[in-house]
Amino acid sequence: MIFLLPAMLVLFLTTIYPMLYAGYLSFRSYDLAKPFVPRVFVGWSNYQQVLTSGDFLNALSITFQLMVITLSIQLVVGVGLALLVTQRLPGMGIARTLLLIPMMISPVIVGLVWLFLYFPELGYLNYFLSFVGLDPIPWITSPNWALWAIAIADIWQWTPFIMMGTAAALTSLSPEPYEAARIDGNTRWQVFRHVTLPQLKPVLVSLVFLRAIDAFKIYDIIFVLTKGGPGDSTEVLSLYIYRQSFTFWQMGVGAAASFVSLIIIVVLITLFFKSLNRDQTA
Amino acid sequence: MSAITLRSVVKRYGSVEVVHGIDLDVEEGEFVVLLGPSGCGKTTTLRMVAGLEDVSDGELSIAGRRVNEVAPKDRGVAMVFQNYALYPHMSVRQNMEFALRPLGLDAAEVDRRIQEAAGILGLGELLARKPAQLSGGQRQRVAMGRAMVRTPDVFLFDEPLSNLDAKLRTQVRLEIGKLHNRLGTTVLYVTHDQVEAMTLADKIVVMQNGHIEQVGTPEQVYAHPNNMFVASFIGSPSMNMIPARHEGGRLRAEGLDLAVPSRFEGKLPEGQDVVIGIRPTGLQRAEPGAADAVVARVEVTEFLGNEALLDIRVGDHELIAEIPAAGRPAPGDEVSLTFDPSVIHLFDPQTGATLSR
Amino acid sequence: MRPFLLAGIAAALTVSAMTAVHAKDYEGVELKMLAIGDTSVTRLAPIVGEFEELTGAKVQIDMFPYPGLIDKIVIEASANRPSYQLMWVDSPWVGVLGESGALEDLTDWVKRDAEEIHLDDIIPIQLQENTWQGRLLAFPASGMIWHQNYRKDLYEHPDEQAAFQEKYGYELAPAQTWDQYIDIAEFFTRAAGETLAGETLDKDFYGNAQAYSRVAGAITHDFFPIMRSFGGQYWDPETGLCAMDGQAALAAADVMKRLVAFNPPDYLGLMWDIRTGYMERGEVAQSSYWSVRTVRLTNPDEAVLPTIGEAGYAPSPTGDGEPQPTMTGALSFGINSKASDREKEAAWEFIKWGTSRDMMRRFAEEGSGVSQFHKSILADPALQEDYPYYQVLLETQENAQRRIFHPFYADVEEVFGVELNKFMAGETETAEEALTNGCTKINTRLKVFPEELRLRWINDAPAAIFQ
Ligand SMILES: Nc1ncnc2c1ncn2[C@@H]1O[C@H](COP(=O)(O)OP(=O)(O)OP(=O)(O)O)[C@@H](O)[C@H]1O
Ligand SMILES: [Mg+2]
Repeated sequence: MIFLLPAMLVLFLTTIYPMLYAGYLSFRSYDLAKPFVPRVFVGWSNYQQVLTSGDFLNALSITFQLMVITLSIQLVVGVGLALLVTQRLPGMGIARTLLLIPMMISPVIVGLVWLFLYFPELGYLNYFLSFVGLDPIPWITSPNWALWAIAIADIWQWTPFIMMGTAAALTSLSPEPYEAARIDGNTRWQVFRHVTLPQLKPVLVSLVFLRAIDAFKIYDIIFVLTKGGPGDSTEVLSLYIYRQSFTFWQMGVGAAASFVSLIIIVVLITLFFKSLNRDQTA
Repeated sequence: MSAITLRSVVKRYGSVEVVHGIDLDVEEGEFVVLLGPSGCGKTTTLRMVAGLEDVSDGELSIAGRRVNEVAPKDRGVAMVFQNYALYPHMSVRQNMEFALRPLGLDAAEVDRRIQEAAGILGLGELLARKPAQLSGGQRQRVAMGRAMVRTPDVFLFDEPLSNLDAKLRTQVRLEIGKLHNRLGTTVLYVTHDQVEAMTLADKIVVMQNGHIEQVGTPEQVYAHPNNMFVASFIGSPSMNMIPARHEGGRLRAEGLDLAVPSRFEGKLPEGQDVVIGIRPTGLQRAEPGAADAVVARVEVTEFLGNEALLDIRVGDHELIAEIPAAGRPAPGDEVSLTFDPSVIHLFDPQTGATLSR
Repeated sequence: MRPFLLAGIAAALTVSAMTAVHAKDYEGVELKMLAIGDTSVTRLAPIVGEFEELTGAKVQIDMFPYPGLIDKIVIEASANRPSYQLMWVDSPWVGVLGESGALEDLTDWVKRDAEEIHLDDIIPIQLQENTWQGRLLAFPASGMIWHQNYRKDLYEHPDEQAAFQEKYGYELAPAQTWDQYIDIAEFFTRAAGETLAGETLDKDFYGNAQAYSRVAGAITHDFFPIMRSFGGQYWDPETGLCAMDGQAALAAADVMKRLVAFNPPDYLGLMWDIRTGYMERGEVAQSSYWSVRTVRLTNPDEAVLPTIGEAGYAPSPTGDGEPQPTMTGALSFGINSKASDREKEAAWEFIKWGTSRDMMRRFAEEGSGVSQFHKSILADPALQEDYPYYQVLLETQENAQRRIFHPFYADVEEVFGVELNKFMAGETETAEEALTNGCTKINTRLKVFPEELRLRWINDAPAAIFQ
């Protein structure tokens, strides 16, 4: 028991205490910037403010849009790349290593890299587009494009994560069933669909799960690229919470929004796993 | 027309040649076993037949048709793998269905075939289970069932019993034999277990180092081995091998002096070096002082039930004799043994080839 | 003759000022300044060694971009032990910092040193900009107005004049109304291949550049001056609540929306510096902004325009063409109220040194740096020769109004930044909806306070330094 003490202490100081404090804050009016604003107990009113706020609901919706876009593309492209790099083809070893690089870069740097590519007037991406005769795209300055611009950066960064996990799973699959399938004469697609995919499923579920949690918390890339704009077209939950806490300095509202988000993600994850289990038993 | 024909078939991995131009004919309905020590190229040969490996050189035909360039699925073969190669996430039924899928059969026919295979292999109860919920023997039967439902022209087996324990192995071996009798399909079967080979094969192909050493019925390879390799590889315990010299109608070695068996008379030049081969069962107890008997001390006896094995030392050579267990000597006893002249083999020590022909 | 005289007086006064502080009086004092990385500081930062020479106090200036700077300052202000004794202050922040007691009251020092700092020579509104409830909490280091810059060379080109007259039926001249401003923007918006002032364009040319970005509320920094020019006010003087959804505000939003078509295509992302960049490169016909960057238009080292054309300067257009009080703003230096007394005194010395008339004249002569706020400098004919916009600065501040200074300014900037940006991006249907949303959000926060307090927060008491 005594050996657990340090671990418990660390857990308490790093996780439990901040959580408790945030919970406490969420019931208070607390303006960090304005000591003259009364710091008092306000009951559920912070929660009420969050839940009835169009901005919060918009942020929630944007977060999920982004999550669905990035996750689905990362999944498809990541699995595709994994299938490619696990082939015994020349150059695949190097390709595999190179493809991992984006993942190792800090999201802020990724944001900056893409900022250079997207930058209005000066961005390289539009410069390249002009070579193939395309009109410049207002990547981060149009509400129609900005979410996609962020999705592209996020996809660029995190597809390798799916790729790596999938490739590892692929190489651990025993080759014989594939040979059996080859002799039986099932097409590549059928083999992929009925042999590979079902075996990858547990791994893919974990990968998507990890990505979903990250996607729910996405912040850095957006902060660098659009800060939530134009309009509020890329205002995700973490930005909303950030703005409540550090632009409006309403720490209580920010804390309440954090808790609401936490509950939403926990509920969603539970539902997600429930539905998976139902698949399994069916 | 042969079911499978190999003509000067070579397999190379890069610059390494592992199968060196082998020739083989497998007849329609025959059960042919590829037998040989580990690494001799059995699996490679089988996989070339299946189409899982390319043939580097030579010609491979199935049912009279050259198939070197034909895709596995178009060769009319089905393969049972050493570790079963079942689809782990599919039930037994789904495993079979998936194998049938490319044939585009209607649902009724698919079901009929699965029921039939399940009936033959006793899988009826297991159809809904997944491989992880089956024992090794059951998995093996599922793997066979999955091969069977496709009604192939040729079954290919790669060491199908090697993952089973000894008892189960005997049992499944029998089942494979029965299955073959019942279906009459051509079988090419890889093993390094000679008992399997002996009991199942119509024809055994003994391989070593990428070469075929001998092709023949179990009786032929046992009774008339082409060379020392086959002679010592087939049979358990192995054939005793004693280097000797032909001197004046006798075969002499240290502690040994035998008359040349009559069938070799006139065939051996005086002074020729030979290797005498005699199976443990060819050594028989004799009265002390019997003609041509060797006298030796028993080092170890092994009791097998009806028989016992004696480890004895003759000159520099350790020999094994198999004698009736009753009245067997104890270690340290001296025994007299005679060589049954009708089962003596003589080999050329240089080439290893038999001198029996 | 006059400049020389002035310079002589200035020199004499400098000597006396320097004798006021004995050399090395502040030996061992170390001051840190939390500041912006923009012209009001970048010129000063490299020469703080000179201040150390004079006083012995070491000054280190940490510079950050404007977006996010107020957050750092707020956190600094709420810390018990300050790590910065000096803080760069944008005048709208005076309310929140003042109400929090974060800034040292400079009133008494200013009064004491009125002569030394040439208090009379400073444009009064620039000082008023830095007051909270009548107390002076920061000292101007750069004094701004919001005015229009335009391509004088193009406006005066005969072909363009004729074509404009033809098309709009009046003479091409710096806009006095927003309608004219929009006409001019439309008139000069040309695609690559078209002709401009007799030459074929090899890239698109835009009629106008304004900041529409929501980042750090950039769009509000253009929106509020336009609102002001329609006579608009931030607050309802009766209730102390948001009035930024009134007629003037709607008109301003409408102007900005109509200008969208004549802006560079990435208008929604235009921050202040990107927007001024268009003007500085001579890629737009007109652009209105805070005068802190205007000096660059005169300096070929910092802008392309002086090498290919000429900039002209005029007061901001107004709604009806009749003069309206111009909106001012001050970029200032303040002292952290939690610094030690000795540090505060040293900091005040630094402020006097860094904002002194001599220093300002030095910057002016170098052709870079700040927006001037001493009458004598702005009126100096020699300097006016080089910097024609001085006259605009001088005249417009005769009748000027200070910027917003409410303690909830950060909320206003952010809320209206997003709402206006959404309207410009087409995410919100009407200006009315956008502005009503903005006011609702602000009022939600304000309504929890008693009206009396709200009225106090919008009360602009005259600076006590003048009493
Ligand atoms: N992919 C490969 N690349 C290179 N060499 C290989 C490859 N596969 C097999 N070999 C070599 O070919 C030879 C024959 O291998 P094979 O698998 O056919 O042996 P085997 O007779 O089936 O042995 P075992 O009884 O151990 O299964 C071995 O020496 C092996 O090392
Ligand atoms: Mg093998």
